[in-house]
Amino acid sequence: MADTSVLPNPLREGIRLHRTPEPCAMVIFGASGDLTKRKLIPALYYLYREHMLPAGLSVIGCARTPATDESFRKELSDAVRNFLHLGSESDAFVKSFGEGIFYITDNFSDQKAYDQLKLLLGRLDRERGTCGNRLFYLATPPSFFPVIVKHLGATGLAKPQVPGRSWTRIILEKPFGRSLATAQELNRVVTSVFDEEQVFRIDHYLGKETVQNLIVFRFANGIFEPFWNRRYIDHVQLAVAEELGVENRGSYYEEAGLVRDMIQNHVLQLLSLVAMEPPAAFEATAVRDEKAKVLKSIRPIPDDRVNDFTVRGQYAAGFVGGQKVPDYRSEPKVSATSATETYAALKLSIDNWRWADVPFYLRSGKRLPKRVSEISIQFRRVPHLLFQGAGGEGIEPNVLSLRIQPNEGISLKFCAKLPGTTMQIRPVQMEFRYGESFGAVPPTAYETLLLDCMLGDATLFNRDDAVEIAWKLMDPILERWQQDGAKGLAFYEAGTWGPAMADALIERDGRKWIRL
Amino acid sequence: MAEQPPTVMLAEPRAASVANLEGELSALWRSASEEPSTRDALTRSCALTLLVYVESEAEGREVNDLIGAVTAQNPCRVIILIGEPLGSPPGLSATVSAHCHLPEPGAKQVCCEQITLHARGTSVENIDNVTLPLIVSGLPVHLWWRAGRFAPPAHFDQILRVADHVMLDSARFPNPEADLRMLAARLETGVETLKITDLNWARITPWRELVAQCFDHPARRPFLDRLTDVRMAYEAESPRVLTQRSQAMLLTGWLASRLKWEFAERRVEGSAEFFVFRDGEREIRIEREARQFDGAGCGVCFTLDLRADGAAPATFTFSRGPDGAVVQTRAEVPGSGPVGRTVRLEVMDEVAILNEELKVVGRDHVYEEAVRMAARMVASA
Ligand SMILES: NC(=O)c1ccc[n+]([C@@H]2O[C@H](COP(=O)([O-])OP(=O)(O)OC[C@H]3O[C@@H](n4cnc5c(N)ncnc54)[C@H](OP(=O)(O)O)[C@@H]3O)[C@@H](O)[C@H]2O)c1
Repeated sequence: MADTSVLPNPLREGIRLHRTPEPCAMVIFGASGDLTKRKLIPALYYLYREHMLPAGLSVIGCARTPATDESFRKELSDAVRNFLHLGSESDAFVKSFGEGIFYITDNFSDQKAYDQLKLLLGRLDRERGTCGNRLFYLATPPSFFPVIVKHLGATGLAKPQVPGRSWTRIILEKPFGRSLATAQELNRVVTSVFDEEQVFRIDHYLGKETVQNLIVFRFANGIFEPFWNRRYIDHVQLAVAEELGVENRGSYYEEAGLVRDMIQNHVLQLLSLVAMEPPAAFEATAVRDEKAKVLKSIRPIPDDRVNDFTVRGQYAAGFVGGQKVPDYRSEPKVSATSATETYAALKLSIDNWRWADVPFYLRSGKRLPKRVSEISIQFRRVPHLLFQGAGGEGIEPNVLSLRIQPNEGISLKFCAKLPGTTMQIRPVQMEFRYGESFGAVPPTAYETLLLDCMLGDATLFNRDDAVEIAWKLMDPILERWQQDGAKGLAFYEAGTWGPAMADALIERDGRKWIRL
Repeated sequence: MAEQPPTVMLAEPRAASVANLEGELSALWRSASEEPSTRDALTRSCALTLLVYVESEAEGREVNDLIGAVTAQNPCRVIILIGEPLGSPPGLSATVSAHCHLPEPGAKQVCCEQITLHARGTSVENIDNVTLPLIVSGLPVHLWWRAGRFAPPAHFDQILRVADHVMLDSARFPNPEADLRMLAARLETGVETLKITDLNWARITPWRELVAQCFDHPARRPFLDRLTDVRMAYEAESPRVLTQRSQAMLLTGWLASRLKWEFAERRVEGSAEFFVFRDGEREIRIEREARQFDGAGCGVCFTLDLRADGAAPATFTFSRGPDGAVVQTRAEVPGSGPVGRTVRLEVMDEVAILNEELKVVGRDHVYEEAVRMAARMVASA
């Protein structure tokens, strides 16, 4: 008889929703932390509630804080209720979700805990049908990644339990290293135990609906791609602005700074999606090959010219949202002489046929006037001005803006004639907003990414080469700034669009920051 | 999972001249843009035309109350057609209005237009002439057939010709056996070029999904080819008995058609029906029974047992929890302990289903096959 187990499930056909992943055991290291409660468990619960997860899916939490299965279940069901704002969710249902949750107390360096984990995983395979599939989620401070990975390897948990029939994957949270050397070292440790195909480096920005929309926008529409090159585009701007300051993450931020926190990962990811060549398919290898390729084409900034291509700033006291806010150096757990940047602007060039001579201006900062992430493509001016002296002053270049958040949407600025008998020209805006055309609420980034990982789809995760290339680009900048210390740091009032030097960076080229 | 924003009427519906409905709509927008409280705060949005057909004024009002929640998710121009062939005096009347909602704080209100056309007596025959020019050009046209069996009269031909999609509701079929057979015949003849979907089919989708999910894992897959017995019970004493009955017919039709079973015979004993199918050597029996349920009256009320007999027997059961909001599933297969879980059962209301249906692209062949199988199973009834 034919082996029917390899045939597709005939009952699945025509069911519009997702494929459900195979049952698996998800092991969360750092399960007592903020990320687990605020993001992971609510996302899992949501998926479970929407029937996107299989029966038998089990979660094992590992962290230092002593707890029991019972107390941990209670804690997580409270988190589910708090963060998902569930009203009268059926108790039976929350309870059923809880039955698949277990806890192991672990300081991450004690072999006994891993032996216990191995036993529990075996038991879940038998009792809950998890079939040898395991997903390890490292939600701990990154300093623990190596020790956890090594122990998983030593305990024999890193390789698929039933080769060819079951899978083992690992998700690593950001930050992935703090320089090229540390990222390479971490990659070395991780890939000495896991194969690269097993490794899922999460960048939650990539899980955002509008970031995926960017790919659809470029490659599902025939009218944009022909213009998407140096012949028509003058320059590209990427902005990720936040209203918030460092909040209570002062000690983390002092170590990181804006470039490590935002640019090395999120902003460069956006850039690679905007600038990459069309991939052969919407599939992990093809997409990630193209992203890596375009990142590799970015011209490195020479260490002696860092100040020509970058500006860094730190916020001084000011007003945000009508509230007086302190300067960065007065934030909790921040040094009074800190030289950490909370703002950065960069000019990058991509050395390839498509983008030669098209600068990419990147800026990101904390304590800016509003929260907004936007990609703006500014087109070249018309080659010849017909309307000189006759209202032609109003002519501005076309700008295509892709807004990631908030009010996700796309707008195009173009010129129109003011009504009347004289020839007067003004820019007008053509707008498309996702919220106005699609009322449905999209899933959150973690829901998308967790499900993708369980299904083995790595398209929206970072590959080792891309992470390293991004660090390689940022390293010279970070080293130069480190050497210069507070010298060269520009201060900007909180609630303004960054230091004046940043304006100079772009105005030198005869261009301006787009008003956000 | 944000709450859906509330929808408000821009103004009281106003009576409009049938001859100049576009003009009436423009006047409505002009007055809104001159009104200080709404000036610069509104934007019109439209991604499709939604035609709704009902057969009484009361049903027209029901739809009117539901539609705001549809336009909030699927911005569209809504045209409600009330056709009362027996109404008098004969004539056509119309009203125009708009529904608005706030997509997010600080944004402009998004508004959608609604036209209600009421045709009585012989005037129903003019419905297509009045409707055609009101369809928004370049955008998809969906027809929501919210009226009994799907048997559109001749004066609907021109509307069906421009429609991309008809959404009917087999829960409204007055005689599920005969009406499903009629639908199956329509689908069978192959003349049907329309995409037809069924709200009642969407109601059982969570059940189909649960059952399908049970066999997603490669190790479970072979059990599908060894099933021998299926027992299903559905709610008997319910105000919605027709809904339940057509759902039960669709669900069993789906199972048999997906698994390519060949229908052999049907027998009726009291409130139970027995069906025999064949798949090569194997015989499969389906028992379908209407019975009482604890806490019945809401949601889809089923229990479903699937058994594979033989050397390594296995069972898969799905039973509705007493509160109607959860389903208990349980699988017993050789070599592993029983695995059960409780699953929230989404009870989607009409609007939620409609909002989903409006996103469907392409014909639903799985539905069409399920309808044909369900009709075959009751061919003699
Ligand atoms: N929170 C977010 O929104 C967010 C967003 C993006 C990325 N991330 C990343 O996600 C990871 C976790 O973030 P988080 O905010 O959840 O951190 P967190 O709240 O500080 O939690 C860290 C977890 O690690 C455990 N842990 C810390 N030191 C330990 C030790 N010596 N031995 C054993 N366990 C130890 C903690 O356990 P005990 O409490 O039991 O000691 C806790 O469960 C970090 O890599 C972070 O950069 C977080």
